[in-house]
Amino acid sequence: MIVSVLQENLAKSLGIVTRAIESSPPLPVLSNVLLETEDSRLKLSATNLEVSITAWIGAKVEQAGSITLPARTFSELVGTLSRERIDMKLDASTHTMEMRCGVQTTNIRGIDADEFPPINHGPEADFHLAGDTLKEMINQTVFAAATEMNRPILTGVYVKLEDTTLTMAAADGYRLAVRTSEMANSFDEKQDMVIPARTMNEVARICGDDMEVGVCLPKERNAITFTAPNVVITSQALDGRFPDFAAIIPRSFATTTMLYTSDLLAVCRRAEIFARDNANSSTMVVRPADNPGEPADVMIVGKSAERGDTEGAAQATAEGEPLDISFNIKYLIDVLNVIKEERVIFQSNGPENPGVLKPEEREDFVHVIMPMSK
Amino acid sequence: MAKTRKILHLDLDAFFCSVAEQLDPTIKGKAVVVGAKPSERGAVASASYPARSYGIRSGMPMGQALRLCPELIITRPDVRVCVERSQAVMQILLDIAPYVEPASIDEAFADVTILRDPIEQIAHGIQQRVNTELDLPCSLGGATSRLLAKIANGVGKAQQPKDKPPNTIAIVPPGTEKQYLADLPVGKLCGVGSRTARALEELGISTIGQLAASSKSLLSARFGKPGRDMWYHANAIDPSPVLPLPTLKSAGRQMTFLRDTNDPAELKLTLRRLSGEVGRQVRKAGLRGRTITLTLRWADYSTFSRQMTTRNAIDRDDQIYTAALTLFDKYWIQGELVRLIGIGLSQFEQTAWQWGVWEDQNAWKKAGSLQAVLDKLWDTYGENCIRRASDLDYQPAYYMYEHLRGDEYG
Repeated sequence: MIVSVLQENLAKSLGIVTRAIESSPPLPVLSNVLLETEDSRLKLSATNLEVSITAWIGAKVEQAGSITLPARTFSELVGTLSRERIDMKLDASTHTMEMRCGVQTTNIRGIDADEFPPINHGPEADFHLAGDTLKEMINQTVFAAATEMNRPILTGVYVKLEDTTLTMAAADGYRLAVRTSEMANSFDEKQDMVIPARTMNEVARICGDDMEVGVCLPKERNAITFTAPNVVITSQALDGRFPDFAAIIPRSFATTTMLYTSDLLAVCRRAEIFARDNANSSTMVVRPADNPGEPADVMIVGKSAERGDTEGAAQATAEGEPLDISFNIKYLIDVLNVIKEERVIFQSNGPENPGVLKPEEREDFVHVIMPMSK
Repeated sequence: MAKTRKILHLDLDAFFCSVAEQLDPTIKGKAVVVGAKPSERGAVASASYPARSYGIRSGMPMGQALRLCPELIITRPDVRVCVERSQAVMQILLDIAPYVEPASIDEAFADVTILRDPIEQIAHGIQQRVNTELDLPCSLGGATSRLLAKIANGVGKAQQPKDKPPNTIAIVPPGTEKQYLADLPVGKLCGVGSRTARALEELGISTIGQLAASSKSLLSARFGKPGRDMWYHANAIDPSPVLPLPTLKSAGRQMTFLRDTNDPAELKLTLRRLSGEVGRQVRKAGLRGRTITLTLRWADYSTFSRQMTTRNAIDRDDQIYTAALTLFDKYWIQGELVRLIGIGLSQFEQTAWQWGVWEDQNAWKKAGSLQAVLDKLWDTYGENCIRRASDLDYQPAYYMYEHLRGDEYG
């Protein structure tokens, strides 16, 4: 194997693929990156047997071949090399890669490519999606996935393809995020699976604004593949059924409030400083105005028994019943962070009922937060 | 300047022996020790003052004590009565002093700073009540800090004749603390054992006065943080407060089976019973906890302990049982013999309840009311007035049954 690449390209793609590597994997070869020549490209792959990431970079291939190199050493070295051409030459008998870049000559010992588990990125994409849409869909759901392992299925993002609608949903048991997107083509057969949140975060990272990302979720494989230009991510789905969530989203509300996203976010952040001592519990107080259209009183209160308290007024209009409802303020902050629209709608049916947030004039994103009560 | 504190240290004289004498008046005034028989390789837990005059000390092997005094009377401690009497003493202290910190079964500190009466008078009042109401001798030390109060008590007791309980009071007047300490040997300071005392001796320090006059940085360098504290103490600086009973940090129950068992039904029934007892304990204390600990001891005596933390702080029997069962199902290897099983609840919080997306709020409220009714029934008619049907013909053979609290757990 004799191949030349640009340091910049190699460093960037190593940064993408090595995200699949877990710390201290059971097999030594899983700490390595697989390098293979493919026509006039160098293909890099890494896997933890659950998630596999492959990236391609342009290369001058003089002699085809393959090898695996320890990811840590390899990335660390490449990251510090100067922005020049890297000439690599493999000594197949010793599995040692000689790398020359500028003044630096390095020999890295690797493991035979045959020992690397086969990576199967699956067939053609079922559909394509704009990179920025996919990224937004992931960002608006993945944060709501569970981080605790009490219910493993909730550590994933539910992905469903039905008719012309792609749905993503995540819930940690205390909140639920549901985002939909309309597809150009229709799917007769419903397909759904639950993808680890970790995978979804990696997918969001590779999604660019001006790209199409292919998605393939064949039921029989119980795996999903995302294909972006020069990068492919395949992940195993989680075993089990995602709990039904449609029934949790209320349809009618006693109180409806319209607020300004960044204004509300700022008030919530201040409340959080004091709410920390109290399991982040903060109270939202809504007092609709007597006449419709007039500004309403909306307050977010954060209290700490030891350190004091804070109360902030958010600009709002409100209709319906007055409301005093307590939330884990972090949940409110999390969702406000992923809403780009200027205004949000907050709705609820009372202090022991879920609070529902959505961007104004959008029906494709809804977030449900369960309240806290004494 | 801060208000001069008034701290008392109370010590029940030869407490276990005094209680033994109450239970059997015929041994009063004789050389008595409490502890196990020499054949049981026992040691002296407590020695009466007549016994002490033979040179018998607590901690001494029983055989040696018998050699010193062949007519020595050895009695077993009645722990239940001792605990009762100790609590009665603490109650008297609490009646008089605003802050009481029990230091052990027969020892306590009290902060009486905010009381108007002179410290000596307060000490007399306490001693008189303990003497007359409980018929127990006790000695008190009084000073401006815990350190001085305890030292004064020890010094006061040592000055009394050895043949009967000292029942004495020793007060160090404010402003005379350093002077009071100066001529005492360093060993009188708490934390200075015989080894430290020898090390200090090598540095030419044998009295507390010499220790006070030595260099703090030298002591820190030689002994670390304890060295620094030693210097402060020698200079009569001890701002440590009298803390009321430490708050409950965890609650726990464990049981040892008479015969090791691998019967899942028996194990789970035990688990539920333990959950109920832990729940009852924490609810009585008005606490809710987030961390559940399961302890299993296998037949080979190796002990295994695992924890899980719930989002919400829980206190209901069924909630504790559910969590305990989750751990049990996860970690008990089917067929494995269990010798001991235990449950603990800790990380107490008084935070709001976070509702779950898929939680049945009505069922939750019903379970809460049921628990409240059960607690009321148990409080009124005793723990056996209402029980689970599945527990009725379940008579488990427990070898040992332990209540755990505070730092004792895990």
